[in-house]
Amino acid sequence: MANENRKWYEKAGAEGDVVISTRVRLARNLAQVPFPNRMTPDQKADVERRVRDALLNSNSAIAADFTFLAMDDLSNEQAVSLVERHIVSPEFIANSKGRGILISKDESISIMVNEEDHVRIQILHEGLALTETAETADRIDTLLNESLRFAFDPELGYLTQCPTNLGTGMRASVMLHLPALTESGAMSRIASNLSKLGLVIRGTYGEGSNVTGAMYQLSNQITLGLSEREAIENLQNIAMQLIQEERKARKTLTKNIAVQDKIGRSAGVLRGAKLLSCEEYMKLISNVRLGIAEGILSGVSLADITALTTAVQPATMIAEHGSNLPPQQRDILRADQVRKALSVLQ
Amino acid sequence: MMCQNCGKNPATTHIKTIVNGTLTEYDLCSECARERGYTNFFKDMSFDFGNLLGGFIGTPTSRGTAVRCPKCGASFAEITESGKIGCAECYKVFHDRLMPTVHRIHGTAKHKGKVPGTSALRIVEPAGKIAVVEQSPIEKKRAELKAAIDAQNFEHAAELRDEIREMEKGEKDNG
Repeated sequence: MANENRKWYEKAGAEGDVVISTRVRLARNLAQVPFPNRMTPDQKADVERRVRDALLNSNSAIAADFTFLAMDDLSNEQAVSLVERHIVSPEFIANSKGRGILISKDESISIMVNEEDHVRIQILHEGLALTETAETADRIDTLLNESLRFAFDPELGYLTQCPTNLGTGMRASVMLHLPALTESGAMSRIASNLSKLGLVIRGTYGEGSNVTGAMYQLSNQITLGLSEREAIENLQNIAMQLIQEERKARKTLTKNIAVQDKIGRSAGVLRGAKLLSCEEYMKLISNVRLGIAEGILSGVSLADITALTTAVQPATMIAEHGSNLPPQQRDILRADQVRKALSVLQ
Repeated sequence: MMCQNCGKNPATTHIKTIVNGTLTEYDLCSECARERGYTNFFKDMSFDFGNLLGGFIGTPTSRGTAVRCPKCGASFAEITESGKIGCAECYKVFHDRLMPTVHRIHGTAKHKGKVPGTSALRIVEPAGKIAVVEQSPIEKKRAELKAAIDAQNFEHAAELRDEIREMEKGEKDNG
């Protein structure tokens, strides 16, 4: 597949052995309009139109790249698939009335309208790319600001529906694969240290103690009193430290024959399975990813693993294969897809 | 409602998540919510996670006095209950009552960072750091000069001063 036609999650990025992706989100509200929790349907429609026009009618070359999706027009599976591809939040689709999303062709840029705030600009990027991602978010914000007036206070910064987002309105996060640190039991110590630094780490595809597939999301908590640049640098430093720690832990871990055995067996099961639940897939692919990153397995790239993981999420599969796909059929299809993708794995 | 996980404690946290491709909503007690990782730093500040932000924004003592935001009609009690601010104007109307909450979340800091209307365009420098490029080259030099003086690096400061003079001369000639 030509690289330029790929979605962002089908590419490998910097520090790809540990970092899956980077995300930056900016929260903005239009001045003079009540926040979403107090809006009338008419006001919602009006905000939707204004945000849409601000982007699509702008003179920027970027406008041609965007499509608008009204959430009311999407099927349930299409909506859930947007969550699985990390484009929108579960909250966004739970109550989709009057909500819409502007989305770029490669799905790396999305603008949610009437979620928790009027405007949520979200940029996704493969690998570790905090600076670049924050820069894109900033550019989109500047572009929208040419025709929209955002609620702003010199002391409180950008005004948001929830006071946790006041200030820059920026939430930046890095998705990390930390199997070795998880295995060594270091994660709870790391999590409590990070909270002192105004950062937070939590499981992504699963929750807390039973994190699926050792995937974690590291993000900034404080948005007021730190500039965008400071928050990004802070996050970058900590992410780099975690990456180093994880790499060190991997070196030790993968010398262990029992761990090598687990990696080999996981690859074996994934290559041979005829029925594969999403949960089992997530657990096993974490070992396979570790094996590829550490050179124990070869033939399949980390980018292919990321793309495969997105493709076999339940709703994404239903959106792809039709809504009357019963769970067992789904597990068969998933197993087929995984066997095919990993057939060249050695 | 009781916690849907343990069934022992009252549910205080409402959770929306995707389980096997379906949007699922359920209610947990604070203990189970914590175990499953649905916590944030409110907890670390020994704040009762309660009905999310609800309990967080003070207690609804103002019920009855009912000062309402003239823009959106929200009362402070409504903001407290929902954990959601009504509109931009609410931050002015209820300023004194909201500030303790803001301070609990972010500390007493003031906004630093992007301001609307300014171009906060950022470029990547070779070192991978972000530089704010709203400064003109000469402004940048002046900032460097100030930093050099602050650091008592007078030799470098003298060089910078001369460079700035050159640039100022150039500006005049062109302008």
